[in-house]
Amino acid sequence: MISLIGFIGLIMSFFCNVVVVTSYYFRINKRFNQIFYLALYCGLFFICLSFFSLMFAYLSSDFSNFNVFQNSHSSKPLLYKITGTWGNHEGSMLLWLLIMNIYNIVFSFNTTLEDILKKLTIFFQSSLYLCFSLFVILTSNPFLVNSIEVNEGLGLNPILQDPALAIHPPFLYIGYVGFSLILSLALAGTISDKLDNLWIKVIKRWTMFCWLMLTGGIALGSYWAYYELGWGGWWFWDPVENVSLMPWIAGLALVHSLMITQQEQLLKRWIVFLSILCFSLSILGTFLVRSGILTSVHSFATDASRGIFILILFLTITGFSFIVFILKAPHSNKKLNLLFINKTSALIINNIVMLIACITLLLGTIYPIIVEVLTNKRISVGAPYYNSTVIPILLPGFLIMSIAPMLSWQSNKLVKLKNYIYLLIVTGISTVLIAYLTKFNIWAFIGTILSLWIIATSLLSILHNCLKNKFNKFFIYNNALIAHLGVGFVILGITFSSIFQTKNNFEIETGETINAGEYSLRLNNLQMLEKNNFQELQGVFLLYKKDKLLTSIKSSKRYYYVSKIITTEAGIYHDWLKDFYLVLSDEKNNKWSITIYHNPLVSFIWIGVIIMIFSGMVGVLKR
Amino acid sequence: MKKIFLSVPLIIVILITIFCLVFLLQNRDPTKPPSALLNKNLPDFDIINLFDNTNIISSKNFKGNIMLINFFASWCSPCKIEHPLFFEIKKNYPSIILIGIDYKDKGEEGINYLKTMGNPYDYVGVDNKGSIGLELGVFGLPETFIVNSKGIIVHKHLGPITKKIITNEIIPFIQ
Repeated sequence: MISLIGFIGLIMSFFCNVVVVTSYYFRINKRFNQIFYLALYCGLFFICLSFFSLMFAYLSSDFSNFNVFQNSHSSKPLLYKITGTWGNHEGSMLLWLLIMNIYNIVFSFNTTLEDILKKLTIFFQSSLYLCFSLFVILTSNPFLVNSIEVNEGLGLNPILQDPALAIHPPFLYIGYVGFSLILSLALAGTISDKLDNLWIKVIKRWTMFCWLMLTGGIALGSYWAYYELGWGGWWFWDPVENVSLMPWIAGLALVHSLMITQQEQLLKRWIVFLSILCFSLSILGTFLVRSGILTSVHSFATDASRGIFILILFLTITGFSFIVFILKAPHSNKKLNLLFINKTSALIINNIVMLIACITLLLGTIYPIIVEVLTNKRISVGAPYYNSTVIPILLPGFLIMSIAPMLSWQSNKLVKLKNYIYLLIVTGISTVLIAYLTKFNIWAFIGTILSLWIIATSLLSILHNCLKNKFNKFFIYNNALIAHLGVGFVILGITFSSIFQTKNNFEIETGETINAGEYSLRLNNLQMLEKNNFQELQGVFLLYKKDKLLTSIKSSKRYYYVSKIITTEAGIYHDWLKDFYLVLSDEKNNKWSITIYHNPLVSFIWIGVIIMIFSGMVGVLKR
Repeated sequence: MKKIFLSVPLIIVILITIFCLVFLLQNRDPTKPPSALLNKNLPDFDIINLFDNTNIISSKNFKGNIMLINFFASWCSPCKIEHPLFFEIKKNYPSIILIGIDYKDKGEEGINYLKTMGNPYDYVGVDNKGSIGLELGVFGLPETFIVNSKGIIVHKHLGPITKKIITNEIIPFIQ
C-alpha cells in the first residue's frame, strides 16, 4: 500500500514538472503564470510524499517493498532505519530527486533576478528533474513490490551503520545536486544574455553553498573512513572519492573565478564553462559509480541498463549545455589586467592549477576504460599515480593562496610587503628547525613551509585589516583569509599525518603493559557486549604517559548477526597534536595482536575543514 | 578558429561517452575479466620473495598442485576487505598453494601490510614493476587466479572476493 502511494507520488511529481516545462512556453498569459508556480509547488509536495512513503516503509519494516526487503532488517536501530532510506541505489536516487526539487523551490523565492531569467532557470531545473525522474522511474524504482511473502529483510551493510555515514550522503547530494541549479542558472543566463552583476551575485551565493555542502559531505566521508575502516588513514584515492573530488575542485575554481568576474567583469565565458563542468562531472561521477564500471569500496547493486541510461543522460545534458556554450557564450573585449602579481593573475593561476588537477583526476579515473576499449588490455590506476601527479600540481596554487587575498586588483603592489618578507624568513627558519628535529623528508619540508606560510600570512593579513578597520565589518574584509587559514591547517594536518605516521604491531595479553617511548599501554580487560543487532568484543586499553593515566581507549570488533560480517571499530584517543589509533586484530594463544597508529596532527585536518565551512557559511550569509 | 577552441569540451564529452558506451555494450563486466588467459597454461614466472630479496620463487616448482594466486598491494583498499577470507580458504583447503603477489608496491610497505593484516599466503612475491601482472593480464587490484593441477588457469576473479564468491566460484575449482 505504502509502496503504491510512494510510486504515485513519484509519477505525479514527474507530471507536475511536465506542466512546469510546458507552461513556460505560454508564460505571457497570466493564468499560465499561476499554473507554472502551482505545478512547481505541487511537484515538491508529491516528491516529498514519495520520499516519506519510502521512509515510512523503512520505519515500519514493510518487507512487501522489495527495496526495504533488500536493505533493511527489523532489528536495526531506529536511526539506521531512517538512514537506510538513502543507503542504497534506488533510495539515494529518490533523495537526489527530492533535493533537486527543493533547490528549484527555494530558488523560486528569489526576488533579485529578473522574472524572465528566473523562469528560464526554473524551466531548465525542471527539465533536468524530468530527465532524472525518468531514470528513477524506468531503471531504479524504489517502490517495486516484493514477489514473495517474507517477514524479515536482508539487512543494511554493517559498515554503513554509523552516524557519520548516515548524514554523509545527504550532505554530499546537497552539494552534487546543487550544481544542477548552477547549470540551470548558467544556461538561462547565457541564452537570455543576462550575465550581469546581479546574476553573478546570485550564482556566486548558490555555488558557495553547494561547494560548502560538498566539502562537508566529503569531510564526513573521510572522517568515517578514518575511524570505521581501521586502516589508519582517511583518504585512499578510491574511485568514488576521486569522482567526488572532481566536481569539488571545479566548484572551487568557479567560486574563485566568480570573484574576478564580479570585480572586473571578465571571464564570463570561463565561468559559464565551469558552471557546466561542475554538474557534468557530478553526472559523470554518478555514472561511473552506479554503472559498476569501476570497482570500489562503495558497491552499489549494478545493472547495465542503468549505466546506459545515465550515460545517455550525461551526453544529453552535457552535450546540450556545451552546444549552448559554443553558440551563445559571451565574449568580452576587455583585456585581462595581468600584472606580475595582482589579484587577477593570482586567481587565474588558481583556476589553471585547479583545472589541471581536475583533468588529471579525470584521466586517471577513465584511463582504464579507454585502454581496455582500445587494446583489450586491463590496467589499474591507483594511489601512486594520484600521489605523484595531483599533489605536485596543486603546489603552485598553495604558494599563491597565502597572499592572494591581500593583493590589489589594479596594481602590482602588496601593502606592507616588508612584513610579509620577514614572515617568510621566520617561517623558513622554523620549518628548517622542524625538519631538523624530525626526520627530514622533502615532501614534509614543502608541506610544512607552505602550510606555516599560509597560516602566518593569513593571520598577519587579518591583523593588518583589523588595525586598519578596527573590527568594522570584520567578516567582510577577512572572510577569504579565514578560509585560507583553514586550508593552511588542512595542509599541515595532511602533511604530518601522512608522512610522520608511525605504525607498530604488538601482541598483548590481558593485564599486560607494553611500552612505546614515553607512553605505555595496558590491556585492562576484554568484554563481550550483546547489542540488538550485533555482538561486540571490546578491548579496554589504558594509555599512560610517564605512569600518569591519560585515558582509556576502547577498541572493538563487531559481529553483525544478520549479514554475518565482522567490522573493526578503531579506538581513537584524540589529542590536539596527535591521535592514538588502536586496532584490535586476532587472538593467538591468548595473545591479542594489536596495531597502534600514531597519527600526528590529524585533528588539524578536521579543524581546518570546520574553519573553511564556517567561512563559507559567512560567505553565503553575508550581504 | 575560436569556435573550434570552444568545441573542445563538447568533443571530449562525446569521446568519453563513446568509450563508456562501447565498454558497456561489450558487456565487459569488470568482475568478469577477459578470457585471454582463461583455460590456458599459466605462463611460467619467477618472482622475488617479498621477505627475502635474494630468494626467487619459481612458478614451475608448484606444478601438479592447485594454486591460488592473489594480487594485492598495500595501497589497494578493496584488498583489505578480502584479505581475511584467505585465512578461511587456507584453513578449509590446506592442500592448495596460496601465492600472494604484492603488485606495484614498495617491498617494505608490503611487508608491513602483511604484518598488520596477517599473512595467509604460503609464498609471497613482490612484483614492484608490474611485469608479472602484465604477463597475467592484471587489470585492477585485487585479482585472484585459480590454477589447477595441470597448470591451467581455470578461473579468474577481479575485485575483492566475498564469502558468496568463494562458495559459488572458487570452491568448485579447488575441491
